[in-house]
Amino acid sequence: MKNTSVKTLGLSKAYDNKVILQDVSLELPTNGIFGILGKNGAGKTTLLAMLMGLITPTKGEIFIYGKSLRDHKYEILKLINFQSPYVELPKKMTVFQNLVFYARLYNVNNFKSKILKLSKDLKISDLLKYSYGNLSSGQKTRVNLCKALLNNPRLLLLDEPTASLDVLTSAFIREYILDFQKKNKSTIIITSHDLVEIEKMCNYLVLLDCGKLTYKGNLKNLIKNNNSLLEFFLQND
Amino acid sequence: MINRIYALLIRYKNISFGSFPRLLSIFYWPTVQILFWGYFTNFFMSNNEFGVWSVLNIILSAVILWDVLFRGQLGLTMSFFEELWSRNLPNLFITPIKDLEIVIGLVLISLIRTIIGLTPAVFFANYFFNFHLFELGFYLVFLFFNLIVVGWAVGFIVSGLVLRYGHAFEELAWAIIFIILPFSCVYYPLSSLPEIIQDIVQILPTVHIFESMREVAINGNFNKYDLLKIIFLNLVYIFLSVLFFLKMIKVARLKGLLFNQGE
Repeated sequence: MKNTSVKTLGLSKAYDNKVILQDVSLELPTNGIFGILGKNGAGKTTLLAMLMGLITPTKGEIFIYGKSLRDHKYEILKLINFQSPYVELPKKMTVFQNLVFYARLYNVNNFKSKILKLSKDLKISDLLKYSYGNLSSGQKTRVNLCKALLNNPRLLLLDEPTASLDVLTSAFIREYILDFQKKNKSTIIITSHDLVEIEKMCNYLVLLDCGKLTYKGNLKNLIKNNNSLLEFFLQND
Repeated sequence: MINRIYALLIRYKNISFGSFPRLLSIFYWPTVQILFWGYFTNFFMSNNEFGVWSVLNIILSAVILWDVLFRGQLGLTMSFFEELWSRNLPNLFITPIKDLEIVIGLVLISLIRTIIGLTPAVFFANYFFNFHLFELGFYLVFLFFNLIVVGWAVGFIVSGLVLRYGHAFEELAWAIIFIILPFSCVYYPLSSLPEIIQDIVQILPTVHIFESMREVAINGNFNKYDLLKIIFLNLVYIFLSVLFFLKMIKVARLKGLLFNQGE
């Protein structure tokens, strides 16, 4: 398990007999960007939430960097971070106060200089003094990403990182994530509906359909006879 | 036009009567008011003076001490609700913070908010009505801490219910304290209540706290038996309420509720 970032064994989740995720077993290596694809309700976000301990599985086991999430939760959570456009930060606090709050929770050393450095990189330095609640969705996404990078996560989970963003901001966020991954050799898992984005960023894919794992492997192997992911999905729908 | 007004009425009906806590708050208040003012007037009419402590002083002490409970509970629940309203729970719960650390954080912020909130009230009562709350001496510290512990216990129950059952239970944050108000004997003695209710309400620590407050104010002493009862009841309530809150976090993880909370 030395070179494995995430390993799930028979992972299942059901709410009142409604199956959300069924017997998902996968093993992701370290150092890379991995995509989770699926239609609405396929179980993508549930899978991400389970990897972070936000949702307790009905069955199955999760190992992060070789350690059981059930037995070593707080140790593992120090290595993880997460960003989603559907999860916000406290609105009444300024961006800086929010980032300081999370830096303290993650016990980040020299957090002020870390925040200033990340803010500069993500072009949010001028937003630090504003209330988070007053920001636009593009600005919030960049601030959320800044929060997600505060602890230099070895495992970064991104739920639709560019949803509802304009083309330029999306491109900026994508480039930044790619650059971060290269520099830090971290593992990044992305869920997205944007097939072009997944194609550009990920070389390994996990496909979910109605809670079941339908494919895990290289992007190239998946689309073999097609020109793009979009074409593959159109042909196989 | 009639259709549009009808549509609005249906919508407001669904909001107002769609959940039990909201329904309760609609019909409970008039009953609470009648009970409370009825018992209070009885007590007021039959007691004009208690030595150096006037009825006014006893009432002002009760008002301020009752507010300790109210502020304590509200300080805790509102701080927790802020996380829900900001849709911030997932971010919070994926940090290495432990559930018990959240409990401690909520308790401390409630204590700070209560002290800050009540300081001007005590000052004004002293300045305008020559009211000296601190004449209760050490007993004041004891009463303060025990009332705020009751507030925390109620706060953890309400926060747990909102986490588990959603925003419909937020109404309880404002209402629940006033539901127990008429039975807590805040402004009138236990003997003012009907006998059958007297036996039941003794499970509330607030009854013994406010009975003790009057005892100290009027006779200058504190019944040791009451003191032990207050400590015992509060320990039981705070332990059970924290346990309930932690259990609700666990249930929220099982049901995927931490991810779906928000305004």
